[in-house]
Amino acid sequence: MSSFARYIIRRSLSIVPMVLLIVALNFFIIHLAPGNPAQLISGLEQPSVEVVKALEKQYGLDKPLVVQLGLYYKNIFQGNLGYSFIYGTSVNGLISERIGATILLTVSAAVIAFALGTLLAVLAGRRKTRILDSIFSVLSYVFYAMPSFWLALVMILLFSSTFKLFPTSGMFNVRASYEGWAKLWDVLHHLFLPCLTLVLIQIPVFFRVTRSSIDQVNQDEYITTFTAIGLPRKKIFRKYVLKNAILPGITIFGLTLGYSIAGAALVEIVFAWPGMGRLMLDAVFRRDYNLLLGIYFVMAVCICVAILLTDVVYAFVDPRIRYQ
Amino acid sequence: MVVENQISLSRRENKLLKYARSYFSSVKGIVGFSLLLLFIFMAIFAPVIAPYSPDEMTDDVLKPPSAKHLFGTDHLGRDIYSRVVFGSRISLSVGFVAAGLSAVIGVLIGSFSGFYGGITDDIVSKIVDTFLMIPSFFLILIIVSIFGSNILYIMFVIGLTTWPGNARLMRAQALSIRERTFIMVARSTGESRIRILFGHVIPNGVFPVIANSALQMGGAILTEASLSFLGLGDPNLTSWGKLIFQGRPYMTFAPWMIIIPGIFVVLAVLAFSFIGDGLQFTFNPKNRKGE
Repeated sequence: MSSFARYIIRRSLSIVPMVLLIVALNFFIIHLAPGNPAQLISGLEQPSVEVVKALEKQYGLDKPLVVQLGLYYKNIFQGNLGYSFIYGTSVNGLISERIGATILLTVSAAVIAFALGTLLAVLAGRRKTRILDSIFSVLSYVFYAMPSFWLALVMILLFSSTFKLFPTSGMFNVRASYEGWAKLWDVLHHLFLPCLTLVLIQIPVFFRVTRSSIDQVNQDEYITTFTAIGLPRKKIFRKYVLKNAILPGITIFGLTLGYSIAGAALVEIVFAWPGMGRLMLDAVFRRDYNLLLGIYFVMAVCICVAILLTDVVYAFVDPRIRYQ
Repeated sequence: MVVENQISLSRRENKLLKYARSYFSSVKGIVGFSLLLLFIFMAIFAPVIAPYSPDEMTDDVLKPPSAKHLFGTDHLGRDIYSRVVFGSRISLSVGFVAAGLSAVIGVLIGSFSGFYGGITDDIVSKIVDTFLMIPSFFLILIIVSIFGSNILYIMFVIGLTTWPGNARLMRAQALSIRERTFIMVARSTGESRIRILFGHVIPNGVFPVIANSALQMGGAILTEASLSFLGLGDPNLTSWGKLIFQGRPYMTFAPWMIIIPGIFVVLAVLAFSFIGDGLQFTFNPKNRKGE
């Protein structure tokens, strides 16, 4: 167990410099941008030199970039992501208000996509179901090629406008204030379409990885040996192929989960889901530097944590990894 | 020396022929290639194929698909079919330029890092790994919104944020190729390192990057469509993504405005995925028969 603990600690520590590097890259890109933030903050078209100077001093914009980056790091370590110029509140507050909705959407979508994608791959991977395999394979290509926002629009057209089964936007029914179970039901009702959109976009990834890994395991020598000594095919598949073939899916699950915090933004925007997507777009359009950096930092951390968790789960499931 | 060159040239031609035969033996490869040819044809001959000019406003406003307007018309009476045909030019060129740039950067950095090894390799690999962790769409969004949404910027930014995958593939290739006998022979005859890198390592190891580039072309088309949908596309050009963006307010009573451009995006990305997978299959040494 000590080797396992050491493995986890080593992996966790390797993440810190990566996040810092990502933040630095982003910091420099944003500050390379043409235009003076102090001028934006002042809200005047042609603010006097004194006003700009005073604002720059107030927000620390007059210091060299490296010093500003150092200050930013210091704030991050104290858990402070700064102050949003546009919204006029702390970035921490803005993000923590919305991150719950995003996590609800992305985690539920990733879990369902992982389960369904793996299941479909297993169904298609059995030797008797050739036709099923071809159908799933073609469908996986089609959904893989779909822009998420477009699928979201089609979902709205189909399920909201035509069949009137699900609401088009939001997370709650604003006109009714439900409590208890009714509220949960209301949220699930609103969650269904955005979640379905993300699930359909993500299933192909899991399907393809597991499907090709089943093929790969089937070619392994020990499977040939089992077949040769006359073990029933069904038993080989269930007992040996499946166990090994599901592993790569776990890696992809972590990656998908991490990236979909950012990738779900488009779907969130289409469905007006009150997550980070809209916030992100606002920050981009209105050049809210601190908010942009803050969202980016949170995303980088989410991705790193998701990858780390995957590694840990993987090492737990597959003991060969941790001894390398 | 000349004879030697000719031999290696004809051998390369042979190899290409073998690759082509293997590629076109798969259904995916054929379908992908035909779709791509169709799209290229559409982009080149757009003025001939399209019955209307893309910006021409007719009297038919928000009309559903008919014989007169194959895919219907939009809120200003413009023919959607003609707009989609002209839109292929933008979406395809974004795919080619962005993925091309990404391939060039990836091949140069990856082969350099793998071939020279040592501390250069360590540093470059760390940078590549970090870049791979960045949610690139968000980065592209920031850069485009800050520096402007000119189509050239969009192409360059997509290329500049997607090269690490190619660099990783090329590095692995260079690592394995530099240990092979013919590289040692070249070294012992005194060929310079740069010549070995560009003359032997890159030409022999570039194939996985080519396959990956086909997939990246599809990815670039999707990225451009997403940017346009958020209103960050080039304001002077009409890509498929922008058609969806323009159709969104009218989608409940003119669904063809968003559905048809979307289908074209799906078909184009599908073509590139088929081609990419076909090439990957072709270049995978495990799948080569009789060699």
